[in-house]
Amino acid sequence: MKKRILTVVTIFSVFLLWGCYPQGPDYVEELDVVVTYHNDTYDFTAKQTYAMPDQIVKITGNIPEGEEPEFIPDETAQEILTMIEDNMEALGWQRVEISEDPDLLLGPAAWETTTVVYWYDWWYWWYGGYYPGWGWTGGYYPPVYYESFTTGTLLMTLVDKDVVGANGNPIVQWTGAVNGILTGYYDEARMSTAIDKAFDQSPYLKTN
Amino acid sequence: MKKIFILIIFSVLTISAFSQRNLTALQYSIGFGTGEMHDYISPASFRGFTFDYRNLVQPNIGIGVDIGWNVFYDEMPDDVYEYQNITYSGKQWRYSNHFPMLAAVDYYVQKNEKFTPYAGLGIGTMYTLQNTDMSIYTFEKDAWHFALRPEIGVLIKAAPGVGLTIASKYYYGFKAGDLPAQGYFTLNFGFVFVP
Repeated sequence: MKKRILTVVTIFSVFLLWGCYPQGPDYVEELDVVVTYHNDTYDFTAKQTYAMPDQIVKITGNIPEGEEPEFIPDETAQEILTMIEDNMEALGWQRVEISEDPDLLLGPAAWETTTVVYWYDWWYWWYGGYYPGWGWTGGYYPPVYYESFTTGTLLMTLVDKDVVGANGNPIVQWTGAVNGILTGYYDEARMSTAIDKAFDQSPYLKTN
Repeated sequence: MKKIFILIIFSVLTISAFSQRNLTALQYSIGFGTGEMHDYISPASFRGFTFDYRNLVQPNIGIGVDIGWNVFYDEMPDDVYEYQNITYSGKQWRYSNHFPMLAAVDYYVQKNEKFTPYAGLGIGTMYTLQNTDMSIYTFEKDAWHFALRPEIGVLIKAAPGVGLTIASKYYYGFKAGDLPAQGYFTLNFGFVFVP
C-alpha cells in the first residue's frame, strides 16, 4: 500500500511540476529582435554622405537574367525608407543621389520566412487500444498536428564602394537586421521602434 | 563522466543490497543559484524535486542515491547585449535545467524517536541544459559536470512508516564543456517512507 502511495505521489508530483514549466513570450512584439554588426576597423566618422534606393527589394530567390526583382509595396517602403533616413540624419549623415559620388551606399532588403513545426501524437496512436471497454481508439496512422509562423526580416547594409574584397565586391561595413513575427498587417510603430533600435545601438556610425 | 556515475551507482547498490532497511524520500525543492549560475539567472527556482533512496547499512548510516531536477527561469527585459562586433537587442528568456544524479551517504543522529537530524554527502554527476531564447531562436548549451553535494536535514516521524523531511542541500557541478561551474542551494520539503 505504501509503495502504491509513493508511486502515485511521485508520478503526480512530477507531472504537476512539469506542467508549470516556465513559458516564454506572451505577445508577438516580444519576439522582435534587432541585430547589428560592424567592422570595427572602419572609420565611419570620416564619411558624411550616403545614397539609398527609393524602393526596398524583396528577396524571393535568385532572379533569372532579364527579370525585374520584386519590391515590397511602395507605401510601406516609403515609410521605412523615411525612418532610415531620419535615423541617418540624426547621426549626421546627408543623403545624396547616387550620381553625387556618395561615401557609402545603404542597401535595404526584406524577406519572409515561413517555418512549419509538426509533430505526431505517438502516445495516442500507441496507447489508443488500451482504453478498457472503448475498443481500439487509435487510428491506423498517428494523428499529425502542425503549427506554422512567418517571420519578416528587414536588412540594412552600408558598404563603401572603394573598399572591396578579394572577389571585387564591396565589403559590408555595417549590417542592421530587424526580425519579427509577421502578423498579417504592417505595424508602423513596431517597425519604427525596431529601426530606431538598430541605429541607437550603433553609436559608432555618428559622423563629425 | 556518465561511466563514473554508473560505476558509483552500481557500487552503492551492491553495498545496499546487503542491508534490510531502507528509506525513500520525495521532496519538493526550491533552488537558489550562486556564483556564475546566479549571474545567469538570479531569481529563485520554485520548480524542482528530489528523489532520495537510502539503504541503512548501519542503524545510523544510509547509503543510496539522490536524483533531482531544478529549473531556473528568468525573463530578461528588452535590453542590449554585445558579443565582439555584434550587438543584439530584444527580450531574452533564460532557462537552466539541472539534473543531479548522485551516490549519497548520510549519517543519522538519533536523539529521540520523533526527530532524526542527519548530515550527508553526495558525489556523482549533474547534467545541465541551458537555453537562451531570443525571438524564435534558442542558444543551447549543455554539459555533464562532476558534482558534489553536502546536505543537512531532519526526518520527522509522523505515522508508522511515514514521516516528513526538511533538508538543505548545496549542489556544485564543476566547470565542464562550454558551461562554467554551476552551484545552487536548495530547500527541500517532503515525505519520507520507511517500510
